Amino acid sequence: MRTAYVLAASLVLGCYVPVSLAADASVVISSPVNGAKLDPKTPVKLDYEVSMGEKGDHTHLYVDKSEALTLRGLKGAHSIGTLSPGQHEICIKVVNKAHTPIGAQQCIKVSVEPTA
Amino acid sequence: MFENLSYAIVQLLHNFGAAAVVGIAIFALYPAAQPVPIQRGFAWLVGIGWSVQALSGMGFGAVSYYFYEKLPDLNGIAFAALLVKITCAAVSIGIAVMFLRRAAGWTVEQRRAAWKLLIALGVTALTAAAFLRWFA
Repeated sequence: MRTAYVLAASLVLGCYVPVSLAADASVVISSPVNGAKLDPKTPVKLDYEVSMGEKGDHTHLYVDKSEALTLRGLKGAHSIGTLSPGQHEICIKVVNKAHTPIGAQQCIKVSVEPTA
Repeated sequence: MFENLSYAIVQLLHNFGAAAVVGIAIFALYPAAQPVPIQRGFAWLVGIGWSVQALSGMGFGAVSYYFYEKLPDLNGIAFAALLVKITCAAVSIGIAVMFLRRAAGWTVEQRRAAWKLLIALGVTALTAAAFLRWFA
């Protein structure tokens, strides 16, 4: 009986732990940093790192709420070109195979200002 | 597990619907044109196939909304591809219904044109599906 309890507990832990670890999708935009001031003549290079977790498949990159492109790499740098002067929001969202955002995302706000 | 199963069932219906709308329309004409009663049967199947396509297409959105309270996020080329697919489905269902109601009075050429149009719409929708899959 005691062996059965141990086996049952092992089974529960064995199933539970990997699932809970694998379920965490995440996005980190390391550059530019949130609140960065950028030059309107310099293309913006986005450095990012993504973990798809259990349910993520790829990521969508948004500039000012509009989807700019699909990112399929887990880590890398991508140029999004120059941005017009003013405030802009850049987001990366993890989506599933049906292109539905699953919740993991990071958004940063940048300010594009002409340098004096 | 349940989420993946839900998407898989919807995908299964969508795949078989796609095979039906193109395959049956082609088989109505090639390798040999079928007699009118058989063409009517095919028109039923093509109409049902397109209906399955439309419903399973909505099913993807429904499953996403159920699990994430969000619809799939489609923009640009992918959204245009979705509109093309919806248009193909609507027009094809219309043609299938017209075929069932009026084809008895149509000429051979008119029936042939209807099937060719259904083939073209099916091929267009399948092509759009590839763009929808990879441009979103």
